[in-house]
Amino acid sequence: MIKTGRYGQVLWDPAGVVPGTPTEIISINNWKLSLKTDRIDVSCFGDVNRVYVPGLKDISGSLAGFWNSEELALVEAADQETPGLLKLVPNTTEPTFFWSGLAYMDADIDTSVDGAPALSGTFSAAGPWAREPVIP
Amino acid sequence: MASDSSAIDAALVATLQGDATLASYMPDGVYMDLAPPGLSKYVVVTLVIAEDRAVFGGRAIEDCMYLVKAVSLTTGTSDIKAAAARIDELLEDRPFVVDGYEWITSHRDERVRYTELDALDSTIRWHHRGGRYRVQMSRSLSSV
Repeated sequence: MIKTGRYGQVLWDPAGVVPGTPTEIISINNWKLSLKTDRIDVSCFGDVNRVYVPGLKDISGSLAGFWNSEELALVEAADQETPGLLKLVPNTTEPTFFWSGLAYMDADIDTSVDGAPALSGTFSAAGPWAREPVIP
Repeated sequence: MASDSSAIDAALVATLQGDATLASYMPDGVYMDLAPPGLSKYVVVTLVIAEDRAVFGGRAIEDCMYLVKAVSLTTGTSDIKAAAARIDELLEDRPFVVDGYEWITSHRDERVRYTELDALDSTIRWHHRGGRYRVQMSRSLSSV
């Protein structure tokens, strides 16, 4: 079912235990998850076009929102040397649909004179990721 | 806590209405959008544009641009000059207290100054002076 992004959600558990107890990172208004799989070029003499076989899936992404001094989870996550558990929910009215897994986080703060300071971050997988519900 | 966007307008107007110095320059009062007919020295506040900034789960920031100007019928300009300066003192970087909101900023983006002829009597001049003020309030960021 198509849903609005208004009720997206990002959750984080710095302990990095699966399934863990991730809590919501507030003041976020955007997340993006990339599920691109490497493609290995196996083209040979005689092929009429390039031919590829899949390699490993590269899971990474980003999130963004407003800097909120009452919410330091993302900034603290960027200081961690160990991965935490990241959970990404497209819409909380369908809370059983989400992606989650261990991830390393980075953070950026963007402050300008004519707007509210923005907080953003990127992440990379640090272990196997899962999609719920698993669709056979 | 629930938030009422109109309360931001009301807080700005109340700030201007409650200042005795501004009232001494513009004794006919402070009004939202339009002043009653027959007045000659007053302040008008108009909401020019109001944009909402969202986060997941709801509205986070209300970004409001107000035109705030003193309007005077007098031929002399000393009162309107002082009134515009006083408006700036009252609004520039001064926190507003509004139920359900946390203040982010209030500052002038543009200065406004012009004179217009009266629509019925071209010998009468109306002086306008003030500015466009940006007011940003967050809706209790701790809960969104």
